[in-house]
Amino acid sequence: MLLIAKTASAASDTTMVKRTAKPGWAIGVVLDEYSQPLPGADIWVKGKDAKYKSDPKGEFELEAAEGSTLAVSYTNHYLKEVKVRSDREMMIKLDDSYLKSPESINVLYGTSKKSAVLGSVASIFTNQLTTTPASLYSYALPGQMAGLATRQLTGFTSFSSGGLTTLSIIGLRLVNASSNNNTVSDNQEMNVNVRGQTPITIIDDVQREIASLDPESIESISVLKDGLSTMLLGINSSRPVLLITTKKGERGKTRISFKASTGIQQSLGMPTPLSAYQYAYYLNETLTSDGKPPLYTSADFNAFKNHTDPIGHPDVNWYNELLTDRAPISSYNLNVNGGNDIAKYTVSLGYFDQSGIFKTASEVPYNTNNDLSRYVLNSDVGVQVTKDLNVDLQLFGRVQTTNQPGSDYKSLLNNIFNTPNLAYPMRNNNGTFGGSVRYTNNLLAQAQYSGYSQNNLDDILANLDLNYKLDKVVKGLSAKVKSNLSYQSILSLDRSLQNVVYQPKTDGTYQVFGTPIAQNNAFNTTFTSRQSFAQFSLNYNRSFGKHNIGAIALYDSKSYTTNYDLAETVTNYAARGTYNYDEKYFAEVAINRSGDNRYPPDHQFGTFYAAGLGWELAKENFIKDNLKWINSWKIRGSYAQTGSANISSQGSLYYSYVQTYGGGPTYPVGTTYNAPSTEIANALANPFIKWEQGEKIDVGTDLSLFNNHIQFTADYYHDLYRGLLGLRGNTIALLGTSYAIENIGRNLFEGGEFTATYKNNVKNFNYFITGNFNVSASKVVYKDELMTPYPWNATTGLPVNSFINGPIYGYTALGLYQTAADAATSAHIPGYTPQPGDIKYKDLNGDGIIDQFDRSTIGNTRPLLYYGLTAGFNYKGFNASVLLQGVSNRQITTLNNAVDNMGLSFSTNNVQSYENTSGRWTPETASIATLPRLAVSGSNNNSQLSTFYVKNGNYMRIKNAELGYTLPYSVTKRLRLSGIKVFVNGENLYTFSGFKGLDPEVTPTAYPIQRVFNAGISVKL
Amino acid sequence: MMKRMKNNITKILVLIVICAAGYGCKKSEQFPVDKISIFYVFNPKDSAGTTAQAYLNNVYNTVKNGHNRVGSDYLDAASDDAVSRSLSTAPVTLLSTAGYTSASTIDNVWEDSPNYWSGIRAANEFINNIGVVPVKGFVLNGVSNPTSGVPNNEVWKSEARVLRAWFYFEMVRRYGGVPLLGDNVYSLNDNVAIPRSSFADCIKYIVSECDAVKDKLLAFPLSTADQNSSNYRITKGAAMTLKARALLYAASPLFNGGNIDANNPLTGYTDFNADRWLQAANAAQDVINLGTYQLNPDYKDIFLTQNNIERIWIRPVGINNTIEGNNGPIGASVSGNANTSPTQELVNSFPMLTGVNINSAGSGYSTSDPYGTTVATAKRDPRLTFNILYNGAQWLNTTIQTYEGGANKPNVNAIQTVTGYYMRKFMGLQETATSSYNTHSADWVIFRYAEILLSFAEARNEVESAPQADVYTQLYAIRKRAGITAGAANNYGIPAGLTKDQMRAVIQNEWRIEFPFEEHRFFDIRRWKIAKTVMNATHTGVSIVKTGSTLTYNPINVLTTTFADKQYLYPVPYNEVAKNPSMKQNPGW
Repeated sequence: MLLIAKTASAASDTTMVKRTAKPGWAIGVVLDEYSQPLPGADIWVKGKDAKYKSDPKGEFELEAAEGSTLAVSYTNHYLKEVKVRSDREMMIKLDDSYLKSPESINVLYGTSKKSAVLGSVASIFTNQLTTTPASLYSYALPGQMAGLATRQLTGFTSFSSGGLTTLSIIGLRLVNASSNNNTVSDNQEMNVNVRGQTPITIIDDVQREIASLDPESIESISVLKDGLSTMLLGINSSRPVLLITTKKGERGKTRISFKASTGIQQSLGMPTPLSAYQYAYYLNETLTSDGKPPLYTSADFNAFKNHTDPIGHPDVNWYNELLTDRAPISSYNLNVNGGNDIAKYTVSLGYFDQSGIFKTASEVPYNTNNDLSRYVLNSDVGVQVTKDLNVDLQLFGRVQTTNQPGSDYKSLLNNIFNTPNLAYPMRNNNGTFGGSVRYTNNLLAQAQYSGYSQNNLDDILANLDLNYKLDKVVKGLSAKVKSNLSYQSILSLDRSLQNVVYQPKTDGTYQVFGTPIAQNNAFNTTFTSRQSFAQFSLNYNRSFGKHNIGAIALYDSKSYTTNYDLAETVTNYAARGTYNYDEKYFAEVAINRSGDNRYPPDHQFGTFYAAGLGWELAKENFIKDNLKWINSWKIRGSYAQTGSANISSQGSLYYSYVQTYGGGPTYPVGTTYNAPSTEIANALANPFIKWEQGEKIDVGTDLSLFNNHIQFTADYYHDLYRGLLGLRGNTIALLGTSYAIENIGRNLFEGGEFTATYKNNVKNFNYFITGNFNVSASKVVYKDELMTPYPWNATTGLPVNSFINGPIYGYTALGLYQTAADAATSAHIPGYTPQPGDIKYKDLNGDGIIDQFDRSTIGNTRPLLYYGLTAGFNYKGFNASVLLQGVSNRQITTLNNAVDNMGLSFSTNNVQSYENTSGRWTPETASIATLPRLAVSGSNNNSQLSTFYVKNGNYMRIKNAELGYTLPYSVTKRLRLSGIKVFVNGENLYTFSGFKGLDPEVTPTAYPIQRVFNAGISVKL
Repeated sequence: MMKRMKNNITKILVLIVICAAGYGCKKSEQFPVDKISIFYVFNPKDSAGTTAQAYLNNVYNTVKNGHNRVGSDYLDAASDDAVSRSLSTAPVTLLSTAGYTSASTIDNVWEDSPNYWSGIRAANEFINNIGVVPVKGFVLNGVSNPTSGVPNNEVWKSEARVLRAWFYFEMVRRYGGVPLLGDNVYSLNDNVAIPRSSFADCIKYIVSECDAVKDKLLAFPLSTADQNSSNYRITKGAAMTLKARALLYAASPLFNGGNIDANNPLTGYTDFNADRWLQAANAAQDVINLGTYQLNPDYKDIFLTQNNIERIWIRPVGINNTIEGNNGPIGASVSGNANTSPTQELVNSFPMLTGVNINSAGSGYSTSDPYGTTVATAKRDPRLTFNILYNGAQWLNTTIQTYEGGANKPNVNAIQTVTGYYMRKFMGLQETATSSYNTHSADWVIFRYAEILLSFAEARNEVESAPQADVYTQLYAIRKRAGITAGAANNYGIPAGLTKDQMRAVIQNEWRIEFPFEEHRFFDIRRWKIAKTVMNATHTGVSIVKTGSTLTYNPINVLTTTFADKQYLYPVPYNEVAKNPSMKQNPGW
């Protein structure tokens, strides 16, 4: 008894009074995961109709026979059934559900009842983010939200090293080139795409490209896909929005959670290089077929094969020697949250560390491996100053250090990919680095002895919100002032060095190659940005009987200064009105006069607008009375005229509406060749430059059935973009300069998104399955293409080239030439004489030669299918979830040596070959050959992009899975804790791919995609 | 108390609102100050004309540096003088084997950046605007003068006009007539679908531009001060040489009487007019009459010594050893990239030291020591040694070994000469260098005086029914400077009494051996209309087999090239014809 009393007091200071048990009565308290009382939970005795609710202290008292079953449910928590015990006060602790569907969701600059949202919005919540062990929350997005598609580009963040110069204007050092939100995005690994567009990230109502927020501190991530939802962005409203809301302080006793996890990463899709003797064999074959004498003798083969002469005949598998498969990853975070009627606060502190895949040398006293370590601090304090005034201050800080080998990890991976096993020994007999005249920089030296370089990224951001209720002036009116300041800098530290290599000579001495570079000590600012944002808004919300009216009038101005650029200022004057009758018929309009100061003076502002309608059918009597199993059924639609201020997307557009001049290349003159500067005309002026326009239509329906166990959402969208920046097709060289980019193109994006969710429980076994499926088609409606006589050359009418999925353009291969007669008589590339074993191309226009007129679109013409499926359960403390994610109708080309060996190149160094080389054409294997013959002289023909190299790029991954166990409350409360959970989770656990050999998403020589196995513990106080 | 606090809060709120509303209104830099306007470049108050001259430098920058210009080869590797050693098909090989179409062109000076149209645009912008810049100083009779003469802005403008004429000439010799744009500088929405002008009009334009400005330029020899700062600039001699060259091309068979599309004014003259040869001869005579240029005593030094007396116009490059790095032999102590492999045909066209053709009876040519590397054997024209590295030549303090398996043709490395020869021309005096290649001035010589002498000889030979003494004189001068012995007959190996046709053959061979790799041969075989013969052929090299100390020289076939009539002119790039309804394609493309 004493123990219980103690725990109860630990759990909640409001339950100081111990209630006595009564026979035939169930007395207890409902607690949340922090063991804080949960008011308003539904409680009923199974088999009886009567329902009760827990009181504001989370307590309940109801008549229930001993041994009967009590069911407790609360929104966004799992249902729990317990046997009634009338001998003591029952403690019923509910677990937070994995999927959530709150009544009120976040929209741009506010919240809205979900039932009143007329646009297309998909959301995920904390629990859907925290199962992904990764450096960025972006990793948790694939497959979880309808309408959002991703493609990973690399498995590690990028480095920027060069110092800023006055030339570092936009375009020259714009990292996030695809987004007009021209701050540097820290997400360089994952391309995120919503309905064909790159979304703008808005964190707590301020545009910020930060993808490294601690997932534990994020309350929700929503994607706003239609034009009505984004209209308050005005001149940037064409872009979808990734809306991120961090956790705010909540009333109640301090909730403290601590989570620690650590895991290992393994590279996926690494190619298998040829061993030295195989490589030597194929090299000879290549030489012979090029009519050159072979390089290696059978004695050489034996030496390579038997490793009898490791210096003269090395066989070094660089992948095994330099890379590790056990790179650790770990994260720790602490969240504190609490508050009362006057003040609420939350503090989140996170530390993340990700190691890279390179081995390090023990004698080097500093880390040369890739490493990312980051501290993120986010705090928010809200104070109710008076009854009417609320002040909220948010501070965000981030300190991040990334490390890499001094030789730069990207070039290192590239060199590992390209260096043959037999190139040179890792070390000579005397311990010096091996090498030769052609390999003057040893790979081992590059990986482990080249010093290191670092990027330091620092961010600080402050948000101040003032909310003032003006009910006294006009009932329902409130005013809000929001101001934000943020600063970001990236500094680089270069401590790299370079070693020489040694090659043994026959007389026992060594010849030296390469250029030694002593350890650098250079420090550069590579990026800085300052942003200020101020917003003033008047809000009005009031109901008159069944008429519910809302309105907002808003002015905001955002100013960016990056590097040497002049500040870009985006200004909005916007208004939005919402109306609904009895939450049955909905209407919404929004209008925005919006401008960007980088457009020509007097042409900086445009007007953008949107409207939406909705109808809740379930509130109509004919449904209410007849189809009771329909809980809600809404039909909604929106139309918007949007804009995209793309002027900052390309450096050449920077103030190019008048002709300007600048320094050109130097020109050496005179007897001393001093190089006076030259003055050149900059890019041709385009005085007519304008923002891109969008016309977006979205029609959708939301359906909820059988006590909300089944939910279904479907959307159709039709987004037409006009005035897209592009180069005209009719560019004539007589102009004498490059044409300016003009507002020319029209693209159409069209598609459907479907989400279906089923969640239910069998007693305490709560389970769910949710899936989303996107079909996205796109079409180049107009691009002012230079027309040729042959329709197949045109790309107008074909899908839009996007980062996720672009059409592939090339020749149509007819297989490999098998006979000399066929090779001699077929159409071929001018200047090339094909031989058996070369790729034969289809002469589309029948003119007897293969040239640009025989190229056509040969892949990725069908609508992309992108899907995700999540299933999971929660049972007696165990929880599990698994996420499948996949893409279909995707094709890729992989013109690289690991897949398509075009013969070994000798132009500079002999490049590495991979096991696929064995599939090359030879007279003996003519019928089963998968690659053309080995010949450098054939590369003009065989390295052309054609259907020969188009591969099936479909894949499905077990993207993420988690298994967790929450210790019973009876155990944790003895430790004076509210909850302890242990878990294991993983990322990219298995891939089903239509294409063997490499990862279908991240191919060499990008930093490989990682499979992560992770385990951790989460403690709540 | 409470009320006061409220008042304060209201005040703060008002303040914040004012701040927020006033935000962004502050005037700061509205247009980037680093983005300068045309008024800054052509500044009416800048008597130094610094930025204007910088703009003119940019026009100069469009002049091409011919070293390893096409792919990584010399353009002449697309003629019968050399082949590329590239393992895959090099651009020059595509050019010499008809491996190009209008859609995939090589040496695309029309479109590839920086192309001549961009040079013409920049020149026009300069010509139109330089007038407002009060550049101090004058040029009086070809010499800088502080007080009187042609004002400097007029001199600069004249240079831009000659540069523009040069850009046109470079295109005309490739494409025939091209659109003449006048002084127009087009902007985004102007119509630039301009038709081609006739070949005749283009030549007339080039000549008239050179004539119009030749006396408003600096003149050779430059003063020491001008030499130090301005040795790259267009001089009177350069303008006159451009005129002479343009007229020589215009008089040549391809354009004068041998038009590949007889009635097409774009591809050449539609008639034959012998007077054109006379004009060409006169234009060359005019340069000779200047009396300021001479042949440099040392052939090799033309390319290495700055401001030598033979140079008429150069494209400055700088001091480096890049040419050696790109074209030097492999296997030497300092390895080169072996880019250009001269053919046996070029080697064979060099006569003996006596000036006698190697195949002539009694030439002394030895098939067992063809280059005359041993003391006993008859020597060859010294220009062979200056242009080509052959087996036995001196290089980097050692002897070149291009026999099979020799140090410079080891056959274990895929990169090496394919003909048995390496290019020697343009390189520094590396014969005795050891640890690394010496750096040297590496300017690309566009016009040199020897060209004028040969042009004169060629045109004069065509004017008269039989070669006159002045033709012989020029050839003697060139051969004498080359180091060929005068011989007993004092004729440098050129027999007296040659017919016009025989003399033409001698002159054409002299062009070949005097100017290899200087972007003459490629165009010469076209303007003479002999490309169809010399390029429909198999080009050879030598395989030298060393047995003991005996060398055997075996001819090997290296590359078979093809040539059709249409190749006498480049195709106009496909896109330009497709985009411009007024643009006519050359015949056959």
